[in-house]
Amino acid sequence: MRRTFKYNKQAKSNEPTKEQIARYKDFASISHRYERIAKRPKKPLYRDPKLFLLLVLLGIIFLLIFLEEKS
Amino acid sequence: MFGKRKHSLTESEMIENAKRDHRHFSPLYELHFDKIYRFVFKKLGGNEAMAGDLAQLTFMKAMANIGKYEDRGVPFTAWLFRIALNEVNMHFRKQKNNYMVEINDRQLLSLFEEDDVPQMDDADKEQLVALLNSLDDDQVELIDMRFFQGMSFKEIADILEISEANAKMRMYRLLEKLKLKWKNEL
Repeated sequence: MRRTFKYNKQAKSNEPTKEQIARYKDFASISHRYERIAKRPKKPLYRDPKLFLLLVLLGIIFLLIFLEEKS
Repeated sequence: MFGKRKHSLTESEMIENAKRDHRHFSPLYELHFDKIYRFVFKKLGGNEAMAGDLAQLTFMKAMANIGKYEDRGVPFTAWLFRIALNEVNMHFRKQKNNYMVEINDRQLLSLFEEDDVPQMDDADKEQLVALLNSLDDDQVELIDMRFFQGMSFKEIADILEISEANAKMRMYRLLEKLKLKWKNEL
């Protein structure tokens, strides 16, 4: 959707006050949010091809051990 | 006498520092937050909390992409305004319905900047607003930046990455078209 205008004779002035600006000015919070996003691993472990192979390999080893013990 | 000389950083030094470490983005944030918040606030028609969220998001994106920023002789604020504009437009697109912004007499009459302001009743003004709503997004953007945000042609040109003469020309043609349409409909 898009922005549309509506005429209102009594519409307030569209200028934020200093207090309003100060209320939302917080570098610590965006820095914290940024660090949380930047540090998050981009791919989940199972989507990493090397790790995925390792997990499959481990699975096969455990299956073989389990089958060996059973027999 | 031999004390350390206080050295205030230039903007390009701040940018270089921020490129090296995002925590050094703080001076740029302090310097430009007010302008970006004001810009977003006006675009949203005074939605204080949403303007806060979108201004913060703008700086998050700027912080994440500062490495890609290249100084091409255009003020750094133009780059920030472009990011803010994208964020605001994305916000409008996500809405299920059109986002309504109220405009008052002062804003509407500012369209007649250097011309004589014509006598208008409420119906005429509503007609003019309807014409504004019928314009393309790019055209509305131009009008918004010039008349509702009060930007200079140089600032508009820097944000839209066009020359100042081109910005003036586009505005002139657009206003002519708008006024002609409006007169025909009266």
